[in-house]
Amino acid sequence: MAQASMLTEVVQKFVTATPDIQGAALVTPDGLSLTSVLPGSMDEERTSAMSAAMLSLGERIGQELSRGIVDRIVIEGEKGYSVMVSCGDDAVLLVLAAKEAKQGLLFLEIKRILKDLAPMVS
Amino acid sequence: MEIFKIAVTGNVGAGKTTFIRTISETKVVDTERRATDETSLLKENTTVAFDFGRITLNPEQVLYMYGTPGQSRFDFMWEIVINQVEAYVLLVAAHRPEDFRGARRILTFINQRVQIPMIIGLTHTDCEGAWQKEDIILALGFSANKECPPVVQVNPENPGSVAQSLVVLLEELMSVSVV
Repeated sequence: MAQASMLTEVVQKFVTATPDIQGAALVTPDGLSLTSVLPGSMDEERTSAMSAAMLSLGERIGQELSRGIVDRIVIEGEKGYSVMVSCGDDAVLLVLAAKEAKQGLLFLEIKRILKDLAPMVS
Repeated sequence: MEIFKIAVTGNVGAGKTTFIRTISETKVVDTERRATDETSLLKENTTVAFDFGRITLNPEQVLYMYGTPGQSRFDFMWEIVINQVEAYVLLVAAHRPEDFRGARRILTFINQRVQIPMIIGLTHTDCEGAWQKEDIILALGFSANKECPPVVQVNPENPGSVAQSLVVLLEELMSVSVV
């Protein structure tokens, strides 16, 4: 596993360099934070646990209802998106994006950062 | 068909997932992930959302069981689950006194949100260092002048034992609904 500072750097860069992305967190599948760049009002511990719970439940639903491998869980609210994706076997990535974000672009950016992050956490 | 919904809660490693797996007649919907925190010292996997199982009590009644995660970082799940159920069992590992405070925290968390029938299920009572029932009750904050819920010993791996504890919980639930 890569050093936390390297992970933080990648995640930080992703959040600041990608338009419409408001925050991101990399957490363990059992809901502990590895690194996060989140809006100040959000509690890191709670956000991490929620991301893991949601992804796990979504994957379970995908399996139970024969949807195949789950690419991502998306929560679309009036103020924006929360996207949860697996990052290899050992991490979950949460991305918060503004309502204005273009969905296709958002998913593409997430795919890109996953490529960078996955080898660092496996 | 009448549906009863109950929660199975308690600290990490108290036996919640096992309890539901042992008795459920359907394949349990579980959301286990590999533990990476101090939980990994106790067991390999840990519940991160909830477990779900069911039992048919008789042709007219069915029991839905929801197991919560144990760690307090998942307290949002405690809140979601506890608001859906009519009664709950708090599992407490009798041989881990360091967890009693955590069990008490779960109790307080629930009591602040709902007032529903509950029982305490003591697990691991045959393990070395297990506390006596009376002492555990005191440690959980119950005393003579604070009405204590029914306390049962339960082996989460034994279907008969789990069934017995559910009977006690259902009796508790019935006694309240009649009043």
